[in-house]
Amino acid sequence: MAEIEVSHLTFSYDGKRDVLSDMSFRIGEGETVGLIGANGTGKSTLLKLLVGLLSDHQGSILADGVKVDKKSLETVRRKIGYVFQDSDSQLFLSTVYEDVAFGPRNYGYSGEEVEKRVMEALGQVHMEEYRDRQIYRLSGGQKKLASIATILSMEPKILLFDEPSIALDPRNRRQLIHILKEMKGLKLIASHDLDLVLDTCQRTILIAGGSIVFDGNTRDILTDEKLLRENGLELPLSLSRST
Amino acid sequence: MHMADALIAPAVAGTMYLCSGAAAGYSVKKVRQLSEPEKIPVMGVMGAFVFASQMINFTIPGTGSSGHLCGGMLLSAILGPEAGFLTMIGVLFIQSLLFADGGVLALGANVWNMAFYGCFLGGGIIWKQFMKKGMSGKKIVAASITGCILTLQLGAFSVTLETFFSGITELPFFVFLAAMQPIHLAIGLVEGLITSAVLVFIYEARPEMLWGYHINDSGKGKLSRKKTAAVLALSALIIGGAVSLTASAYPDGLEWSMEKAAGTAELEAEGKLYDKAAGVQEAVALLPDYQFRGKESAAGTSVSGILGAAVVTAVCISGCYALKLFGKRKETELKPEKGKKGHE
Amino acid sequence: MNKLQQAIAMLHEVDSEAGRSGDRSRIHPAARLFVNVLFILLTVSFHKYNMMGLLSMGLYLLITGIWEELSFLKGLKRIRYILFLIALLGMANLFFDRNIIFQFGSMNITGGMISMATLFIKGVFTVYAAYFLLMETGIEGSCAALGSFGIPKGGVTVVLLTYRYLILLLKEVQRMLQAYQLRAPGQKGIHIRAWGSFVGLLLLRTMERGKDVYDSMLLRGYGGEGLWKEAGSRQISSGLSVVYAAAWTLALGALRVFPVFQIAGSLFG
Repeated sequence: MAEIEVSHLTFSYDGKRDVLSDMSFRIGEGETVGLIGANGTGKSTLLKLLVGLLSDHQGSILADGVKVDKKSLETVRRKIGYVFQDSDSQLFLSTVYEDVAFGPRNYGYSGEEVEKRVMEALGQVHMEEYRDRQIYRLSGGQKKLASIATILSMEPKILLFDEPSIALDPRNRRQLIHILKEMKGLKLIASHDLDLVLDTCQRTILIAGGSIVFDGNTRDILTDEKLLRENGLELPLSLSRST
Repeated sequence: MHMADALIAPAVAGTMYLCSGAAAGYSVKKVRQLSEPEKIPVMGVMGAFVFASQMINFTIPGTGSSGHLCGGMLLSAILGPEAGFLTMIGVLFIQSLLFADGGVLALGANVWNMAFYGCFLGGGIIWKQFMKKGMSGKKIVAASITGCILTLQLGAFSVTLETFFSGITELPFFVFLAAMQPIHLAIGLVEGLITSAVLVFIYEARPEMLWGYHINDSGKGKLSRKKTAAVLALSALIIGGAVSLTASAYPDGLEWSMEKAAGTAELEAEGKLYDKAAGVQEAVALLPDYQFRGKESAAGTSVSGILGAAVVTAVCISGCYALKLFGKRKETELKPEKGKKGHE
Repeated sequence: MNKLQQAIAMLHEVDSEAGRSGDRSRIHPAARLFVNVLFILLTVSFHKYNMMGLLSMGLYLLITGIWEELSFLKGLKRIRYILFLIALLGMANLFFDRNIIFQFGSMNITGGMISMATLFIKGVFTVYAAYFLLMETGIEGSCAALGSFGIPKGGVTVVLLTYRYLILLLKEVQRMLQAYQLRAPGQKGIHIRAWGSFVGLLLLRTMERGKDVYDSMLLRGYGGEGLWKEAGSRQISSGLSVVYAAAWTLALGALRVFPVFQIAGSLFG
């Protein structure tokens, strides 16, 4: 069962100040969960811990039943896909096809299988026609979709997104929301874009100061103006207009 | 300064390829030994950084002109000499293709002139020696300026030597040298200042990013001293060889300047150097000069030659276009068929 | 600033022009690299007085340029980068080599004149060869060629990544310079007080990006040094590539050894 189980997770970069402290939560199969919180509250740190880009944590992380530690990295990374905030860091090859094929090729799939996976992944983000496009000729929105495809081509069971809608124009952002909704599997979306979270996630985790402040129904938290404000956030535009 | 393909004789280019290749092979081995896989992407991105930052004009106070960054020493102070050297090769390779800065043939020479000295002498020896007993802002400035001036002097000297051995110019070795070295003294000083400004900034912001910041912690002192000695000996050998060569060429240079002072129009004394250069050229020419027999045929500019050139060129051009036309017709004939197949 | 814009324009040109589909993509980049390097090698090996022989080498460029539909004008523009050194060294020949080689009408043609001319021709030819190579294969193709000549994968990866992030960093530097100039009107370059921070900040950001790129590679199963597995979707014909390389080797060798122009001329004259 694809699920994430975090218990008593504590992490510090310098050994002095805890960025995350005693954090516990569980995300079940097929759930889409929003991860919100002001700048510097540890959202990115949490995501990086889940895929093992950061290590030396206390407590335990289970991804799809596998304990995340130095020994299990390869297994864990086949299960979890991580979409970077900056698409240009994710797309380091010349063309869309080459980049989307990078993962499957590294895992040793045959040429036909690679081709099939690449086209499926591009299909999921509606980017088939850009397969031979030079990366730097893509717009910001296209880059984001392409970088999502580079992850989808590895067919991970769990998807982590770090600020997926940042620097996207409204139309690209709408398309992204649409695609996120279509996508199956467990998704954890860290974002400042509360409207996107409202649109895509049934459940939301709010963190502040390295701890979970709220974990529950998205609509409940995003309408709680007081709680949001206390934690450095504001009501989503769509909700503040209606109230 | 980039050497151009046209300025370098194949034998000189080949020799420099061998020298740079050896240094590159050594560097690849070293970088592999470090087994820091994250280094390769960082090197790649840093290559682009050096390329881009070379485009920045730095105003030199008090003058109307501006200085530039070259990057070898800067890269070595961040990535270490071996990784810095490999990164610079990548930069120079792309530059040679993209901007005709240098050239494919002269790449070996350019890597040597601009990357080898900067990385191994500037980074591997000077930076390392200065930082041996801990880092400080003053040491960074001193090391950067010393390193950049020295490496640019050696680079300019190498350009002069390579040009001389290539025998493509009649410009006396000493005149060229006298033009190159002082210019590069100024360039080196400015580059040293820019490099030190950047490195001091990094030192204040993120000192752990600088190469050798933790050098004291690692117990590799002995080994590295040996290596340093070896590189020093090698540089001494190269410099020594160059100096002795210069010394042997000196009489010619002197004669030339005396002749010039005496106002002799013919500049006969220069002949010796020319003979030498021509001798070298002849010795190193890739293929024997089949057509070149004495001065009569030298230019090969007989009437028949010019006529021949015109005819052959015309045949080639028309042949090309005829073939292309033929090819295109074939293509257009084929296309409808393809279309039909598609519809079926 | 100007150089920066040129660099960006050049990158765009290469990407839109290089490796267009069609006949040219069927020849392996390694064959292209080989032929072009051979051409440069043979070209620069000509004696400084042998102008006609040297000119005959131009046939290769002529045929390649027409056949591949490459721009001679754009290639010629690139000579300016090496013009200074070539001019410096070439002009010197005028003064130091005054041996009269032959007379053209009433004009004495000296060795220096001819050697200066050959130097310029060599300069133009070699610059063209590099330009054509770039336009035929692109940087990626050239890298693939390097790989097939046994250059370590790590090295080729560095070149590929440098190229990939080049345009990004050039544009970033351009933005930084624009932002700087808007707040420092009338300044041509970066003031000495900002030397360290201007480049230093960019450097810090670049190092961070390097780390991110590595992380992103790691998460997608990157294990070794190499970045690519195969040439991709190119339809390369190895037979055609071998024929191409062999034919040009023979032709260039013949041009180098035989005074083709004179032989042809004597047939007519």
